[in-house]
Order: sequence, then C-alpha cells, then structure tokens
Amino acid sequence: MFSYLVRRLFIGLITLLLITFIIFGLIRNMPGSPISVNMAMIDPGKELNPADIERMRKAYGLDKPWPEAYVLWVSNVCRLDLGRSISRKQPVTRLIHERIGPTLILSITSLFLTYLLAIPFGLYSSARQGKLDERTLGTTLYMLYSFPSFVAALFLQIYFANKLGWLPLYGMKSDNYSSMSSTQQVWDIFQHALMPVICYTYGSLAYYSRFIRANMHEVLRQDYIRTARAKGLGPINVLVKHAFRNTFIPLVTLIGLTLPSLLGGSVIIERIFSWPGMGQLYFESILERDYPTIMGLTLMFSILTLAGQLLADIFYALADPRVKISDH
Amino acid sequence: MQEESDNKSTVSAELKTVKKSPSFWVETWQRFKRRKMAMMALVYIGFLCFVAIFAPAIAGTKPIICKYKGHIYFPALGYFRRQWENPIFYKDRFRNRYPENLKQKDPDSWAIWPLVYQDPYRRVYDDEWKGQPGNPTQDNGAPSLRNWFGTDQRGVDVFAQMVHGTTIALLVGFVSMGIAGVIGILVGALAGFYGKWIDMVLSRMIEVVMCIPTLILILAIIAIIDSPTIWHMMAIIGLTGWTGIARLARAEFMRLRESDFVLAARTTGVGQFRIIFRYILPNSLAPVLVPITFGIAAAILIESGLSFLGFGAPPPNPSWGTLLNLGRQNLQMWWLIFFPGMAIFLAVLAYNLIGEGLQEASDPRLRDA
Repeated sequence: MFSYLVRRLFIGLITLLLITFIIFGLIRNMPGSPISVNMAMIDPGKELNPADIERMRKAYGLDKPWPEAYVLWVSNVCRLDLGRSISRKQPVTRLIHERIGPTLILSITSLFLTYLLAIPFGLYSSARQGKLDERTLGTTLYMLYSFPSFVAALFLQIYFANKLGWLPLYGMKSDNYSSMSSTQQVWDIFQHALMPVICYTYGSLAYYSRFIRANMHEVLRQDYIRTARAKGLGPINVLVKHAFRNTFIPLVTLIGLTLPSLLGGSVIIERIFSWPGMGQLYFESILERDYPTIMGLTLMFSILTLAGQLLADIFYALADPRVKISDH
Repeated sequence: MQEESDNKSTVSAELKTVKKSPSFWVETWQRFKRRKMAMMALVYIGFLCFVAIFAPAIAGTKPIICKYKGHIYFPALGYFRRQWENPIFYKDRFRNRYPENLKQKDPDSWAIWPLVYQDPYRRVYDDEWKGQPGNPTQDNGAPSLRNWFGTDQRGVDVFAQMVHGTTIALLVGFVSMGIAGVIGILVGALAGFYGKWIDMVLSRMIEVVMCIPTLILILAIIAIIDSPTIWHMMAIIGLTGWTGIARLARAEFMRLRESDFVLAARTTGVGQFRIIFRYILPNSLAPVLVPITFGIAAAILIESGLSFLGFGAPPPNPSWGTLLNLGRQNLQMWWLIFFPGMAIFLAVLAYNLIGEGLQEASDPRLRDA
C-alpha cells in the first residue's frame, strides 16, 4: 500500500509538471500581454511610454523567454509562492481565498441536495421497476440529464427573475447588503443562490439517480437478494439493508471524481449569474492575460483532479475488500 | 419416440440453417432496433441532417433554381460556399435582391424559391418579396406568422438562422468526434495491443490530456490562432476529447488480444498491422462507438457554450449558441433563448439516447436479456 502511494504520487507529480508546462507555454504564446490588455481596458487612448512598459515587463518577469519563466515559476511554487496577480495587484493565493467561498456555497449545497434527493429517487425507481410512475420519473430524469445547464439558467432567469420578479437576476449580494441584519443577509444570499444551485443540481441529480438505479438493478439480480427475500424479509428491508449497502462502493468513488468540480465551479453558470466564484475568476484571468492567476488556478484544478482520482481508487480499495491495490 | 425424432430433425435443420452466424454488427443493429427511443432519436438525427443539407431550400432569399438570360442557375448553393453562386449575379448587380432584379433584368426569367423567404445573415426589407413587410428590429420581433421563431435585434429571422445553424451543430459533432475517434482508437489500440512500456507511456499521455482543463485549452488555442473559424474549433474539441475513447479502445484491445481468433490469426502468420485493423478493430468498434456518440453530444454542448460565451463561430456564421448569446443580452426576447435552447437540448438528448441504445445493444452481458 505504501509503495503504491509513493508510486502514484511520483507519477502524479510528473503529470502535474507536464500539464503546467503545456498550459504555461500556451498562455504565454497567446497574443496580447497582461500589460497591454490592462492598459487597453483602463484607457484605450492612453499610451504608456516604452520605458515604463519595459520596467513593468521586468517586474513581472515577462522579459524572459517562457521556458525560463516556467522554471522560475516552478521554483517559486516549490516555495509555496504562487506569485502576484498582474491585473489585480494582489497575491494569487489571496484571490483564490476570496473566490473559493462563493463557489463552495453553490457546490456544497448542490452536492448535499443531490445526494439527499438522488438516493430516494434511485431507491424508489428500483423498487417500482417497470411501473408507470417509475418510467415517468426515469424519462423525466433522463430529459433533465440532457438539458444544457446554461439553457436552463436562461429559462430560469426569464421566468423567475424577469417575468415573476421573485428572484434577483444575478450577483451574490444585494447593493444594500452591508446594512442588513445577519438573518436578512443569509436570506439575501439564499435568494441569490437559489437559481445557480438549481442549475448545478438538476443535472447531477439525474445522473446520480440513474447511477444508483443501474447499480441497484445489478445488485438485485444477485443470489443473496433472493436468499434475503426467501427467508421472509420485507421489501424495504431487502432494498435498503441488503441491496443499497452494496451499491455504496461505486457511489463513494463518484465523490472522489466530483472533487475538482466541487472547487472549480462552472465557468458558464458563474458567468450567467455573475457569481463571484472560481470559474468566473478563471474566465476573467484568461481575458486579462493574467498569467500568474491562470497558472495558480490550473495548478489547483490539476492537483484536485489527480487527487480525486487517487482518492477514488483508495476509497474503492477500502470499501471493497475484493479489490486489492497491487504494488506494481 | 416421436418426440425424439422430431428433435433430431430440428437439430439437423438448425445445423443446416445456422451455417453463418450473424455478424457482430448485424446482431448489434438488431438489438438496437428494438429500442424505440433510440430509434426515434436516430430518426431525429436523420431529420436534422436533412434540414442541414436542404437548409438553403427551406429558408433563404436566393432561388433554388432560376432561369436567367437563357441559362439555368442554382444561386441557393451560395449559402454553402460563396463561390458556388454564379458570378453573373454579382456582375449584374443583384446585391442579393433576387425577386425584383430577376423580373427587371430578364422578364422571361423564372425561379423556384425556398419555402420561407428569410435570410440567415441579413434583415429582409419592405416589399423585397412582393407584399411582405420588412422584419421588425430591436425587441419588437416576437414570433409571428411572418417570422415563425421571431427576429433578433438586427431584424434577422431566427427561424432562418436556426435552419442554417443546424449545419454547424451537426458538423461540430461529426468532425470533432471523427478526429477524436481516430486519435482515441489509434492510441487505445497501440496501448492495448502492445502493452508493456508503450502502454505505460500512452496511458500517462491520456492522463495528462484528461487533467488539462478543456476550457482553458480551447480558449488559449482560439486566442493563439489569428482568425479562428468554426473548423479550428472542431479540431480543438476533437484534439482534447479523445481520452474516453482511447481508454475504452485500450480495454477492448487488451481483452481481444488474448482471444482465440487473434491467436488463430497469429499462428497462421497474419501481420500485426492486419491483426490490429482487420481482426480486432471491427470487433471492438461497437463499444467504442458509445463514447463517440456521447462525445458528439458533449461537443455540441461545448460549441454552443463557447458561442454563448462569445468565443464561438465568428459572427456571420449562424449558430444556436450565438443566438442564445443574443438573447442573454435582452431577456425580454424570450424567443431568442427558447427556440435555440430547445434545439440544443433535443440534439443532445437524441445523441445521448442513441449512445445509450448502442451501449445496451453492444453489451454482451445484456445479450439475452
């Protein structure tokens, strides 16, 4: 187990280096530099004198060829320094720190809701296999699964914000947020978060329900289920205690794989709702050619993706005694 | 006694008839056919292909066929490619106003027109088509009898844009997953067939590509290309979307490598190249088609998502995602969101249904279920 972990971590490190190298090369070769883009945004007419530009390029290490700059970046990362954002004049770690909260509000609520609803849905549909209500539920879930979340977001905005006026169109807080009492503040964020959370949730809800149903389907054909039924256990008992517990293993591995999206957020949904989260930051930093921020976020997502895969494998081995992690 | 001889005769009859077992493809197709939803989805995709091919005949302002100064022309082909519109119309200063110009410049001319006189690229003006008022602009273009799906801010008909946008939606799926399929199958085949260090290297490569955030890769590459076209985008989606296919192909090749028919081929001296492409590939193609079909759905989503963010096909190209982006700027114009949104949804749903049907049809565990 230990040597397996060491091997996986070593491979993961090489993968990380490769990914960051590719992304670094790509973004450094994008036309436009953070300085020119920044200037154009502030005042297109104003021209910086060449000496100033040169000074700024030096300060941000843009005067070096990108492979050299990459080595510098890696050595800084090894000292846990992600650098400073060029367009926002702040350390990248602080930016991530600021933006991670809003993203977590959405993703954790959504994950919680998904599990809360998907498990009963999945159990219900495996209990009523083939009946009319199960098929209606199944079809509805399948439709939802295929429904693009950005289309759903726009539909929700049109109906609930524009037509009925019940919910705010976008943003995370109202303008007078700071003058509210704390209960009002919670209510305010709740109202703002409602539509994004729905958009995040419905797709994964459909996916998880179908996933649980498919696994239950497999388990219910096993001999031990027949044994449990034969010895006179009630249907609920069989379904929950004997069948569902055995579908837990694949469910657990799924959590590992959702790790990156949990912190990464969704660029499109956060854009539509102007939610100040990680996805939005990612998108903005690409537009602003803010190299340190892009690299910091890329590093974070890659680590999370790799860690999620590793966690899923380890969970799997822990939850299922039949699976053994081999050392070679 | 009677029964036994009956059995014997049926057995011998079976031996005669079951000479050639149905091929894997025929079998998969037969099981696929039984799934009503998947078949309906397939028919729907066929319908979309029909719409895409005949788009200029469904909605357009150029005649499908016309006789002009003694010659027959097909100006509607100009919608596919500028050059396919005969230069004579340019020389005679038609300026894309066919109905009046044809009459004025050649009274003997005749033409067969598209079903709907609307253009996907420009607004139709007053009396361009006799008795048809010009398209409403700004947010006044709600769906009406003239403009079935309404018009956008510039007064361009949404129905025409959607009909012509079908081509992009379908092409994005086919081309990008065609590229992804070739790369994925090749990488997966090599990794699965040869194993050992080749497998090690290729598997790491798959892992690296999987971990790269797709969106940033696409945005970065689009930014690097000077004038990105829809073809660049398809290539990029294809170049990033092959990992799932490769993993499945790898598993299939690993499984089939050990099978008896491959062993038989090896012992009779068939070359490796031939074993890979003529023996194993046809037998592993049906399962590999599953991630390709799901990939087409994902590609359509990525394309419309990128167009929605404003990074999609450059403006003159009508695309479903671009329409959504227009609608987002003014939510009052619900028709700019509803119709393209439903079109994207239905296309994605259809591909997902086909993918699922294929998955169940090609899964040997469900063979006799």
